[in-house]
Amino acid sequence: MIVKSANLWVRIAKRILLFVLCMFLLSTVVFFIARLAPGDPLQSFYGDALELMTEAEKDAARERLGLNAGLVTQYIRWLGQVFQGNFGLSFKYKMPVMDVIQPLVGNTLLLGVLAYIIVFALAIVLAVFCTLYEDRFIDKAICKIGTASYYIPGFWLGVVLVLIFSVNLGWLPSSGAYDVGMENDIGNRAEHLVLPLIVMVASHLWYYAYMIRNKMLDEVRKDYILFAKSKGCTRREIVWKHCLRNVAPTIVSIMAISIPHVTGGTVVVEAVFNYPGIGNLAVESAKYHDYNLLMVTVLITGIAVFVGSFVAQTVNEEIDPRMKEMESIKW
Amino acid sequence: MVNQIKNSADPFAVVGAGYRTYEPPKRKKTFREKLKGKPIFSAALLLLIVLGCVFAPVFANHDPAGFYLDALNTAPNSEFYFGTDSLGRDLYSIMFYGGRTSLTIGILGAAIIAVIGTIYGCISGTLPNRADSVLMRIAEACGSIPTILLVLILSALFTGKNVITLSFVIGVTGWFGMARIVRSEVRQIRNCEYVLYARCTGGKFLYVMWRHLIPNFLSAVMFVVVSNVSSCITMESTLSFLGLGLPVDILSWGSMLSLANRALIMNTWWVIIIPGLFLVVTLMCITNVGNFLRKETNRKPSNL
Repeated sequence: MIVKSANLWVRIAKRILLFVLCMFLLSTVVFFIARLAPGDPLQSFYGDALELMTEAEKDAARERLGLNAGLVTQYIRWLGQVFQGNFGLSFKYKMPVMDVIQPLVGNTLLLGVLAYIIVFALAIVLAVFCTLYEDRFIDKAICKIGTASYYIPGFWLGVVLVLIFSVNLGWLPSSGAYDVGMENDIGNRAEHLVLPLIVMVASHLWYYAYMIRNKMLDEVRKDYILFAKSKGCTRREIVWKHCLRNVAPTIVSIMAISIPHVTGGTVVVEAVFNYPGIGNLAVESAKYHDYNLLMVTVLITGIAVFVGSFVAQTVNEEIDPRMKEMESIKW
Repeated sequence: MVNQIKNSADPFAVVGAGYRTYEPPKRKKTFREKLKGKPIFSAALLLLIVLGCVFAPVFANHDPAGFYLDALNTAPNSEFYFGTDSLGRDLYSIMFYGGRTSLTIGILGAAIIAVIGTIYGCISGTLPNRADSVLMRIAEACGSIPTILLVLILSALFTGKNVITLSFVIGVTGWFGMARIVRSEVRQIRNCEYVLYARCTGGKFLYVMWRHLIPNFLSAVMFVVVSNVSSCITMESTLSFLGLGLPVDILSWGSMLSLANRALIMNTWWVIIIPGLFLVVTLMCITNVGNFLRKETNRKPSNL
């Protein structure tokens, strides 16, 4: 066993090392799968024009796109370019991958972060509510409805909402992030965000609310509750001021592990609502065998997820000293 | 029936309070009482759906592969019970045939997850601490990438998708959670005497796993396996809806829903609502049955 280091910076350094290792593994796997996948990259680059090209022209094109070298050589070359911030060309859009992705990052962040905040704010409120009314009718009803909402597939809920609110009632737009030319109109953007956010929240909320509720139910069975009660605190005070504080570290760690889950949710929601974001781009590029683009979208999402989890874990350890002692796996 | 005198041969039997306690005669439980607390409704509904899919040709009243071009986008009526979609297919008949595919993928995917997760979890759980933590960190790192992205990358490997490849893709990307649960169960029982004995007497890993480990954590893991069936079905339908799963000509609840975008334009609600309802009802039934298998945690009364 390595001696546990109490120093925050050493722990962070270890985390970063692990992070680099993860990214290296991820990029390797993604690269080789993308290159081994069937389908000629030339086909997706030139489309139908490929039929008209001679063999010599095809060879020249392969040379230019760097498809001629062996797999390992290609991989090393690709890694080298990645470090210079050059992720290669998108075969479908015929421009550098980063240029395709850059304008979309903000959209996805907006959707993901908003959904994340709403999900956890609501989850905590719901969990506290259920704790206050444990085993009453209202608690049971919320549990049933919550479970049901969790098992409705997100894409279907999205389509049904579009059917109701935009096709039939005409209240809300059905796709996109903004209408043409209204990019900076906040009201317009908000209108486009309503349905995607509802779907995101509905398909994630209960999972986390239920976890927090269970944790809270364990908490209200502890002895200090009796003490607080005999002091004369009201139930509401006890739950909000005492229990929630003690549960807070658990909530933070739930938030940490939820990042990949919520990010995965954005992929489906963006595809359903045709929302111009990274997730939609990933689905599109998988459909059109644009591996370069797919690779980078996956890498970027992976980085975001890893960074998010690492930050949350570190924060968690700092705010709750108990976590350090519980940390059984050491590196 | 009065209780028999306990230990009548024992001369020092204590006679006093509690001697010859009255035990009410044991009544056989009625059929209704036996069923109480069990998810009968969900199980029955699930059985109905499964039977409907198995005996699809009996229930279907049209050719599921047939295109009824004179009846495109027909609302539900007496001939087409659930209406027809934009290709003119009879939704009622496709429902049963599509269910076959969806359920198969669900079960196959869950089986793949169960096998990989169990083996990985057992290996990791029985190894020494250091190797265990390395294996678990790898699984954690893979599991922290959103599943849908892993599926997107892997699905690039298979161009022509069918039931087998799709359940393979779903299974291979979904086992991380299962491995974690199996591993923590194995860690609890790996130092039990019977496991040590089996290993000392030369039991091979697979033998120990099959004879001693699996039977002991099976009940704890069963719930996860069942809920994996529903998550595999969800994943299949999501992928097919996005156009990355089964093509439209392989019938499944997901590939039926992949016509939803066209249905939105035509405003034909039945193409969207009916397959989705089937899907959701099936998922809920599976979940209810799975929850029944979950160990109930008994909480003491609240202090609040």
